[in-house]
Amino acid sequence: MNGHDVLRIEGLSKQYPGVRALKGVDISFSSGEVHGLVGENGAGKSTLIKILAGIVRSDEGVFQFDGRERTITSSKDAARAGLSFIHQELNLVNYFNAMENIFLGHRYPRHWGPLVDWKRLREQTREICDTLGIDLPLEKPVSHLSAVQRAMVAIARAFAVNGRIYFMDEPATALTDVEKEKLFKVIRSLKDQGKTVVYVTHNLDDILRITDRITVMRDGQVVRRSSTAEMTKDSLISAMIGKNLESAFPVRTGTIGRPLLSVDHLSNSLLRDISFTLHSGEILGIGGLVGSGRTELLETLFGVRSFNTGTIRLEGKPYRPSSPGEAIDRGVVLVPEERRKGGLVLSRSINENITMMSLSDVSRFGFIRHPHLRRRAQDAGRSVRLKASDYTQHVDTLSGGNQQKVVFAKTVMKMPKVLMLDEPSKGVDVGARFEIYSIIRDLASSGAAILIVSSDFNEVLGLADRILFIREGAMTSIHDNEGIDQKHYLHYCYGRTHA
Amino acid sequence: MNTHSKTRALSIIKTWGTLMGFLLLLLVFSSLRPDVFPSGRNMKNIIEQVATLAIVASGVTVVMVTGDFDLSVGAIASLVGVVAALLMKSGLSTPISILIALLLGTLAGVLNGLIIAYGGLSAFVGTLATMTAYGGAALLISKGTTIFALPENFKVLGQESLGFIPVSVLMMAFTVLVVYLLLEQTTYGRRLYAIGGNEEASFLSGIRTRQVRLIAFGVSGFFASLGGVVLTSRLFSAHPQAGSPFMLNAAAAVFLGMTSFREGEANIMGTLLGVFIIGVMGNGLNILGINTYVQSILTGAIIIFAVLLSSIAKKRQK
Repeated sequence: MNGHDVLRIEGLSKQYPGVRALKGVDISFSSGEVHGLVGENGAGKSTLIKILAGIVRSDEGVFQFDGRERTITSSKDAARAGLSFIHQELNLVNYFNAMENIFLGHRYPRHWGPLVDWKRLREQTREICDTLGIDLPLEKPVSHLSAVQRAMVAIARAFAVNGRIYFMDEPATALTDVEKEKLFKVIRSLKDQGKTVVYVTHNLDDILRITDRITVMRDGQVVRRSSTAEMTKDSLISAMIGKNLESAFPVRTGTIGRPLLSVDHLSNSLLRDISFTLHSGEILGIGGLVGSGRTELLETLFGVRSFNTGTIRLEGKPYRPSSPGEAIDRGVVLVPEERRKGGLVLSRSINENITMMSLSDVSRFGFIRHPHLRRRAQDAGRSVRLKASDYTQHVDTLSGGNQQKVVFAKTVMKMPKVLMLDEPSKGVDVGARFEIYSIIRDLASSGAAILIVSSDFNEVLGLADRILFIREGAMTSIHDNEGIDQKHYLHYCYGRTHA
Repeated sequence: MNTHSKTRALSIIKTWGTLMGFLLLLLVFSSLRPDVFPSGRNMKNIIEQVATLAIVASGVTVVMVTGDFDLSVGAIASLVGVVAALLMKSGLSTPISILIALLLGTLAGVLNGLIIAYGGLSAFVGTLATMTAYGGAALLISKGTTIFALPENFKVLGQESLGFIPVSVLMMAFTVLVVYLLLEQTTYGRRLYAIGGNEEASFLSGIRTRQVRLIAFGVSGFFASLGGVVLTSRLFSAHPQAGSPFMLNAAAAVFLGMTSFREGEANIMGTLLGVFIIGVMGNGLNILGINTYVQSILTGAIIIFAVLLSSIAKKRQK
C-alpha cells in the first residue's frame, strides 16, 4: 500500500464497429497493491486487458509507466513494460517441467559453453519459489500438476522475468477452497515484493477478501474507485448495475403451453441432481456464476456430455442423446457460447452456414437443390432480420450481430422444439441485441421451449418466465420471474434460496 | 487509389497466380522446343501420362477437404495392382478380378478412416502406418517381383482408345466429374467443406463428423485403387512399388490446387491444375534432356514457390 503509481492510464478509448467498448477510461495501479477490477460482462474489463496485453490497439489513450509515457502495440511491448497476464488457459508447455517452464523465454543458466547448467537452474528456481512462498514439484511435467500449481508456475515465470504488474483474469474458478488459499498466499507475497496484482473476477467475495482497492467499470467507463475497506457486497453490486436501466426487452406475447421437456434428477460428473420441466412457449433462464455448470447443463441436454443418473423425457418419450446429431434429429438445438468457435464456419458463405443444419431439407437424393437452398436461406435470414445483401459472402466479413443472426437463422430453419441459447448476445452491439431478443420472443410465441444462459443477468431477467439457479453444478432453486431484481438474482447465484 | 489497384492485383495473383504460372510453363517449354513440346502428339502424351495421377489425386482431394491427409494412396494403388494381376493369373475373369481388387482397395481406405476418425490417430500417423503395412502386403503377395503376362483384354483400360480418346483419359474425366459432383453438388460435399472449415461447429450443427471423415478415406481408397488398376494396365505388369510415386505427387497436386480458384481449400479443379503442372514439368524437362533428379528438385521448388506466393498475397490483402 501507499506505493507509487506504476502504471497510469488516461483517456483510454476503444471503438469497435457499432460498439464503444471504452469511453475515456482513467485508471492507475500502484506498486504493492492488489487491485480488484469488476464489472458486468461487456463493461469493458476485457477490452482494457486486451489493450494492455497488446492484442487490441486502443484508439486514444496515454500509458505512463513510472511517469514515463510508453506505447503498447504488441505483446512484446507489454512484456517489456513488465506486464504479465495469468489467464485461465495458461501458456505452459505441457510436457516441460516447472523449472523449464519458468525459465522458458529467458536464458537458462549455462556452463561449458552451450550446455544447460541443471544444478544452477534448480537452485535459481528454488530461490524464486521460496521468495514467493510457492511449493512445487519441480521435476514433473506440468501437465501432471493441479490447476493451482500450474497457475503458480505461470506466476513464477512472470516473476522470473521481472514482471511488475500481474493481471489475473478469473484465476480461481477451477480451484478448490484449499487451493484458492494457496493462490491468495502467493498473491500476498507478490504484494510484499512490491509488485502489483490486478485481480479480475465475478466472485465478489474473493474481491472483497484479497484486494486493497477496487475499480468498478460499467458501459466502458469507470464508475467507482475506492479502497476495499469502504466497499460491501451490496455497494459493489449497485455500482456494477447502475441506475439507468432501460427496458430493453420486448414484451411477451405468446402463452405457455404443454410440458415439452422434463428433466428428473439429472446428474453427471459436473452436474448434481437437476430437475425441472420446460413447457412449450416458455423461456427458462439458467442463473449462476461463470463456471457454475450452466453451460454443462446445456451441453448435457444436447448430447455433448453424457449423464449417468436421472432421466430426461422429450414429449413424453425417453430422451438420451449421444451426439448433437441425435439431439437435433429430436428437435433440440443449441446456439453455442463461442459463435466463432462452435457456431459458424467462418470461411464459408452465409447460404452454407444457414443451411448446414438442414441439408436434408434442401436436397434430393443427396444432391443440393441450389435454387431451393438459396430461397430457404433467404427466408430464414429474413425472419431473423439479417442485414446482408449478398448471401454468398463469407460470414467472417459480417459484424458480430449479423454473425449471431446467421447462427439464429441456421437454428430457425431447423424449427426446433427446444432451443438452448448460451450467451446469445455476447459480442453483439446494443442495436442488434434488441433484435435478437425479439427473435427469441418470436420463437417462444411460435411454441418453442427456450433455455437461456447468460452472464448478463439483465438479459435473463428481461426475457425469462422462470429462472433456475445452479451453483457448483447443483440446482439451488427455481423461481418465477416476478419481483426478482438484480440484487435477488445475485443472491440466488451465490446459493441463497430465498431473498 | 494506388493501394486499391494493388489489392486487386494481389487478389488476382491469389486466385489465378498458379494458373498463370502453368501457362507460363507451357510458354517456356514451347519456346525452348517449338518443334517437339507443343505438338498435338506430345499434348496427348502428357494427358495420358497424368491420367492415373489425376485419378488418385482426385480421391486425395476429398480427404484433404476436411483437413485430413492420406499418405497411403501409393501403397494402396500398388497393392491393388498386384492383387488384380494375381487374380487374373489365377484364372479369374478380368472384370471380376478388377472388381475384387477395387473392393479390397476401398476397404483399405475404410480401414484408414476407422483408425483415424474413430481411433483418433492423426491422419498423418495413421496413414503413415497403413502405408507401411499395405506396402508390405503388396511385397509379400507378389514375393517382391514384377508380375508379367497378364491377359490380353486387360490392356483396354490403360492402352486402348475409344474412338480417338484413350480409355485412361476417359477414366480420368469420369473421376474428375464424380468428385466434382460429390464435392460441389451433394450434401456430403457440403459437410466435408464444413468440417474442413470448423470441425467443432460442424459437430454442434449435427454433422456426424466421424462418419463423414470415414467415408472420405473410403473414397480416397477407391480412387487410389482405380488409379492402381489403370496404371497396371498401362504398364501391362504389376510391380509391388509401382504406385509409390503417387503418394507425394498426389499430395503435391492437391497442395498446388489449394493455391488456386479457392482460398486455401482443396478443390477438384485446382487439383487437376496441380496434376497438369506436375505432368508438364516432367514432360518438358524430359524433352529438354534434364535428368530426373533435377526434375524432383524443381518440382519441390515450384510447390514452395506457389504456396508462398499465394500465402504472401493473402497476408498482404488483410
